[in-house]
Amino acid sequence: MTHQVHPYHMVNPSPWPLTGALSALLLTSGMIMWFHFNSSTLLLIGLLTNLLTVFQWWRDVVREGTFQGHHTPMVQKGLRYGMVLFIISEIFFFAGFFWAFYHSSLAPTHDLGGCWPPTGIIPLNPLDVPLLNTSVLLASGVSITWAHHSLMEGNRNHMIQALFITIALGLYFTILQASEYYETPFTISDGVYGSTFFMATGFHGLHVIIGTTFLLVCFFRQLNFHFTSKHHFGFEAAAWYWHFVDVVWLFLYVSIYWWGS
Amino acid sequence: MLRNLLALRRVTQRTFSTASRRHFENKVPEKQKVFQEDNGLPVHLKGGVTDALLYRATMFLTLGGTVYALYLLTLASFPKKQD
Repeated sequence: MTHQVHPYHMVNPSPWPLTGALSALLLTSGMIMWFHFNSSTLLLIGLLTNLLTVFQWWRDVVREGTFQGHHTPMVQKGLRYGMVLFIISEIFFFAGFFWAFYHSSLAPTHDLGGCWPPTGIIPLNPLDVPLLNTSVLLASGVSITWAHHSLMEGNRNHMIQALFITIALGLYFTILQASEYYETPFTISDGVYGSTFFMATGFHGLHVIIGTTFLLVCFFRQLNFHFTSKHHFGFEAAAWYWHFVDVVWLFLYVSIYWWGS
Repeated sequence: MLRNLLALRRVTQRTFSTASRRHFENKVPEKQKVFQEDNGLPVHLKGGVTDALLYRATMFLTLGGTVYALYLLTLASFPKKQD
């Protein structure tokens, strides 16, 4: 019987990279069909195959780590590097939208009235729901830290409660932001103000939804005893991502909601 | 196929515990046994029959969708003649 003499993980052959790549093709060509030919079938198939791929791929990662024991300290180190690099790439993604906002708002052109906010735009009051949203996300940063410490101290019930509170705050943010979107007197097509506002806050909202989903997965894994007090990298990765989402919001609030009004 | 069924039978045989129904029981040791069994199955199929069904559905939709996408893109490449 052969056995490995190194601490690395030689993964089984998997179909998910192929189905993932093809689902990306279906998503992009589906968007073309939707934008230009008013047909959403391909887009829906793309969304479905993408969801199926990510579900099965990450299910397999849980199996490999928690059930098969492949996540040695060396492997975990690689996973940590991977998550850090991914978050850095997301920082660059948002940097683009902030660049666009500052480009247009620091030197507003004459067709905007030479001022920011542009003539005719009624910005949202930063001391209203946006401030509440800020406190919601900051509080969720506290609760997720409480969850982590509870996990490290072996306090199962506290961990579950704190993670539940974090998820609830994330959902509350999403609901509040959705209602704000409904109430804004301006739309995405209202010049460069509308474009920068909705592109930056829209992608942020999407990341809040993704982060909340990641936390929910951690919640169910915790209920099912997957995490130990010493080994819980999935949770740590979710926590890092959640803090990143929080920090992006703080930049959004200060730049677009506060300074930009 | 039979190996999958046998593995599935083992998974469904639960040990009795004193934990009340409301609380979650720690089934990780059972899962570890299933996924460490030396049956030569890759991890994406090792969970049982449901794995194979889900895999086939995903592959069918993905490959079918790709053919559909290429068909639509070919169609869109040749604009309709105006009468």
